Amino acid sequence: MLENYFPVLVFVIVGLAFGCVPLLLGRLLGPHRPDREKTSAYECGFEAFEEARMQFDIRYYLIAIIFILFDLEIAFLFPWAAIFKEITESPAVRTFGFVEMFVFIGILVVGYAYAWAKGALDWE
Amino acid sequence: MEFKTVLFYLFAAVLVASALRVVTARNPVHAVLFLVLAFFNASGIWMLLDAEFLAIALVMVYVGAVMVLFMFVVMMLDINIESVRRGFWNYLPLGLLVGTILVVEMAAVLGQRYFSLDALPNTAAEAGYSNTKELGRLLYTDYAYPFELASVILLVAIIAAVVLTHRERKDTKAQKIGEQLATRRDDRLRIVSMASVKEAPSVEKAVTEEGNK
Amino acid sequence: MLNNFVMPDFNPAMPEILLLSMTCGILFVDLIFGARHRWMVPLLSVVALLVCAFVTVNTAIGDPVLTFGNMFIDDLMSDFLKLLTYVAVVAVIIYSRGYMKARGLDKGEFYLLMLFATLGMMVMISAANLLTIYLGVELLSLSQYALVAIDRKSTRATEAAMKYFVLGALASGLLLYGMSMLYGATGSLQLGEIAQAASQQSTGNHTVLLFGLVFLVAGIGFKLGVVPFHMWIPDVYEGAPTAVTLFIASAPKFAAFAMTIRLLVTGMFEYAEHWQTMLLILAVSSIALGNLAAIAQTNFKRMLAYSAISHMGFMLLALASGVLAGGDHSPAMAAYTSAMYYVVAYVLSSLGSFGMILLLSRAGFEAENLTDFKGLNKRSPWFALMALIFMFSMAGIPFFVGFFAKFAVLSMLVATEHTATAVFAVIFSLIGAFYYLRVVKVMYFDAPQDNLPLRVGFDMRLVLSVNGLAVALLGLFPQQVMSLCQFALLRSL
Repeated sequence: MLENYFPVLVFVIVGLAFGCVPLLLGRLLGPHRPDREKTSAYECGFEAFEEARMQFDIRYYLIAIIFILFDLEIAFLFPWAAIFKEITESPAVRTFGFVEMFVFIGILVVGYAYAWAKGALDWE
Repeated sequence: MEFKTVLFYLFAAVLVASALRVVTARNPVHAVLFLVLAFFNASGIWMLLDAEFLAIALVMVYVGAVMVLFMFVVMMLDINIESVRRGFWNYLPLGLLVGTILVVEMAAVLGQRYFSLDALPNTAAEAGYSNTKELGRLLYTDYAYPFELASVILLVAIIAAVVLTHRERKDTKAQKIGEQLATRRDDRLRIVSMASVKEAPSVEKAVTEEGNK
Repeated sequence: MLNNFVMPDFNPAMPEILLLSMTCGILFVDLIFGARHRWMVPLLSVVALLVCAFVTVNTAIGDPVLTFGNMFIDDLMSDFLKLLTYVAVVAVIIYSRGYMKARGLDKGEFYLLMLFATLGMMVMISAANLLTIYLGVELLSLSQYALVAIDRKSTRATEAAMKYFVLGALASGLLLYGMSMLYGATGSLQLGEIAQAASQQSTGNHTVLLFGLVFLVAGIGFKLGVVPFHMWIPDVYEGAPTAVTLFIASAPKFAAFAMTIRLLVTGMFEYAEHWQTMLLILAVSSIALGNLAAIAQTNFKRMLAYSAISHMGFMLLALASGVLAGGDHSPAMAAYTSAMYYVVAYVLSSLGSFGMILLLSRAGFEAENLTDFKGLNKRSPWFALMALIFMFSMAGIPFFVGFFAKFAVLSMLVATEHTATAVFAVIFSLIGAFYYLRVVKVMYFDAPQDNLPLRVGFDMRLVLSVNGLAVALLGLFPQQVMSLCQFALLRSL
């Protein structure tokens, strides 16, 4: 089975090389003489007003966690899609396997409706 | 050494190193990024075990979603990293000691014999074998009950997240179109019935009122 | 492979299926009417639980039935424990309504999360597979974490929730690790198959099984809240809103008991002598620490938390005396019966005790200190009597239900030649009686600090009185419940 993933491995290696090698080359070949002014944050010619890190709103968190939950749902849909043909062709599980996924999605749609109705998906 | 073994040690080494950096990194953003690296390598190890679906799910769910959440949380909290890390070096020896004892004990009890590569059956998968399909065949038949339970747990997580973090904003300027459409005339318009002709107050009365003040 | 599939029988799981659909329905009701009609969600929740009770009684067959690929078991023990769970949750809903309303926390989600937690308990109670046990535990715990933090403005509650969450996640990890060892050694997640594989083990897997067992017991110990896995109990009980504490301290104990029976008795009975030793250590240290620490408390919720630790330890004593050295398991059934009876007695008294705090509290006043009970007799002689019953029952004073529970456990210990442990348990029960009696003394002999009349709804007065009378009456007729427990276990194990 792993043979199928050999291109992926090659892709990963090439991708890593493509990202890292220029950085390394620049570091090795170029001059490297940092001083205080050079390493300080650059902000259009004047001193930086504040730190680069700023606090995020808690609403990002809510959106992100709802995203994770539906992402997980998609992860469960994936194997179902992979054997969907088998399910529809086998008389024993045809109804069960089909309805089961809709129950699963149905339960999550309840959650979706809840989040929507509560205004958790609204931004402003 | 086979090529697979080389890959395993490569993934394992990077995994352990990046996991170490997660706990030692000074900057929490760096820690999250090292965690992403650790997840990628764990996914590589799973791939070597022929667990392709899990490997992809790990990248999709953890790297794609959970790490984004972590990043948000790190950015949300205004943590003074130095104060969190105070005492790290004091606790390190104790932690190391406990950790080492645990590892040694587990290794002594379980050892090479039960969990070595030889002890576990090696299901050599031929090309064309699909881990995802095997998983699906089980998940949507025998494991239907835990599968539905998983969705209930996700539902509870949605409700809990909304209950704990969502707050109605009073100052929001967002339009609620549903409410706007549902508005009836009576909500906006008040018809006051008044006499169409009103008698002007007499001058004497106004004067006496003035005097009373 | 797909063609071998047999459609599962849905009937045994009808209560779960119904509860889930009704909870989803209530969720929509809450979304549509919840803001204007606050009374609807609690009322519908109670109705849903009563419907479940009705269905549970009607689908009870008596003989164990497995369904859903043998992952779900419906036997008399599960039916009995589920009914008790419904009763406890209904009582919790009725007790907590006024309290939550006074604090503006009576959102629909409070009841919805409790219903989901109840579903989790039912899943745990009916689990015949390691996976379903774990999912039940997670469903229950996740709802509980959210419930503890439901008062978002309270930093104390948030801290308690955080502590609970972190330690709970750790315990789930331990449990899962133990389960994975069991799976590795036996090749099955099915409890029945694990038991079978464990009885015909080669020496090799024996070590792995034992190793997994240690982690299982640790996970169970956390869920029950026994020393040394008790750290969360005092903080969570004290920090959570009292209504939530009431919930955590009552119904989940049934589920934790069922989980213990399923994992240890059904799954690992072959290793009974090993886990009995572990349980004995947990039990003895819990009884000692729980009772001693409770004396020092001035906060009533915290005191009850330590008392919960010692009570769960007491229950474990019974579980630890089922199999004699040498593998004679003739006393097993009697031992597990007394453990089950102990849980029933404890939950009844615990419901009442936390109910008393809710009874005395009002908007802006928590009534969680011992001094808040001062002179209760002068304010309301009837409820002072109820509180006296609960305290006497907890202390194990004859003739209340708690006494017979302790008596049953102690006689089991003596019968199985754990005399020294029995003496130890008696001594610490006597020490424990001190702090329960102190509450009684405060209620009857001290002058009241505030004289405001108790203002709670009729429903709460009624249920709390029924609860108190049940504790008193079951103490007078202990044999009925005992034989019910015995019958349920006999037909299940």
